[in-house]
Amino acid sequence: MTPGFVLDPDTAPGVALELLYSLKVRDVMTTKLICGKRSTTLRQLRDTMRDNDITGVPIMERDRIVGMVSMEDILRAMEEGRLDCTAEECMTRSVISLADDMPVNFAISYLEKHGFGRFPVLNRDGDLVGILTSRDILTHLLVALNRELERIEAKDREARAGSTAATANQSTAAPTGANAATGAAPEGATPGTITQSTERTRIFTTRKFDFERAGRASTEIKRILTERGVDPRTARRVAVASYELEMNQVVHSVGGTLRFSLLDDGVEILAVDRGPGIPDIEAALTEGWSTATEWIRSLGFGAGMGLTNTRRVSDEFEISSNPDGTSVRVRINLG
Amino acid sequence: MNYNRILELLDARLHVSCKTYETADINNFVASDLMSDVLVLEDMEFLLITSLASEQAVRTADIVGARGILLVNSKVPPAGMIDLAESLNKTLISTPKRMFVACALLGRELASEGREP
Repeated sequence: MTPGFVLDPDTAPGVALELLYSLKVRDVMTTKLICGKRSTTLRQLRDTMRDNDITGVPIMERDRIVGMVSMEDILRAMEEGRLDCTAEECMTRSVISLADDMPVNFAISYLEKHGFGRFPVLNRDGDLVGILTSRDILTHLLVALNRELERIEAKDREARAGSTAATANQSTAAPTGANAATGAAPEGATPGTITQSTERTRIFTTRKFDFERAGRASTEIKRILTERGVDPRTARRVAVASYELEMNQVVHSVGGTLRFSLLDDGVEILAVDRGPGIPDIEAALTEGWSTATEWIRSLGFGAGMGLTNTRRVSDEFEISSNPDGTSVRVRINLG
Repeated sequence: MNYNRILELLDARLHVSCKTYETADINNFVASDLMSDVLVLEDMEFLLITSLASEQAVRTADIVGARGILLVNSKVPPAGMIDLAESLNKTLISTPKRMFVACALLGRELASEGREP
């Protein structure tokens, strides 16, 4: 199979990646819906597709989608002389749909994985709200990329104008180690990678919905502890806490950092994100309480166990949250 | 039971074998598609049965100290999942059988060995 146009997070330009993660399916889908019924004939659907320049039609029963008829179905029916069949007889029934709040990078992977040219898009209530094709994604990505590049160029022009006015030897660089002290993500850091390290401290960054990289910090932390001869059960508790905190940032926050410190008699993890904060910490610490959407659950996470499980495996657990971000500090004793 | 017996029972395909593949005696299995549920368990050295064909299934297996992953429901592991299983030394096998059937067959085999499923 060809790799298609999925970007490799290790080598892709940051601007393109940011767009793929921040743009939602609802931002790029077509909302003008042209639908058919079970009783619509393929001949009628062919005319509909031709007149509206589309390649697929969802078949509806009341307000629920029950199938899809694509251009390929029409071509096959033409070859077999079955254009007067109804949609009911020829439609694809196992329709795979997208959620409107999925990031665009997921939609791209669905297009790759399932080989369909278009996907119906449903909202949280299961209502059909749009159709997404690869053409929609490309068109919107190009527009968004263009807009982003214009913004960067404008910023660059401003910076150049500013720098000519500034004195030549003025320094605005932050002091070394400032990020380590606050746990804030260094500007331009690559998510999931070590952005700052000393012998006993590691800082990892996370990014919203970046499931490809999520978990790398925890895998690395477990490897370090295992290499240092830490008891496997303790290493596992640290890795579980770290993984839960990492996934929480990826699923619920706009991104943040995990600072991992190896102390003489324990391990401390400080997870700090940049918002939007947890409105009700008490509820978030209740097993099964979750604000994750169905598609996040389909990735294996968002069961509402993250924070309670982190607290369970930790010897010390502190949490604070406001709209600017959430901070969780855990400590696990060694030995 | 050993891995070869599992492959035979489930018409399974081997994608990655861990270093202890030949000698491993597997007597504990955890079946779940929600990695959040796997992370709350105390068990170690089990085989994770899941239909989640993603790198996160391998990472979860590594973090909780599972031996490897058995993918059910004819799921095909993507290249990234295979690569990660190799680098984290996790066995990765896949079966066309459904989760329930795979669990039932493994449970019956454990019982025939005199072990509690």
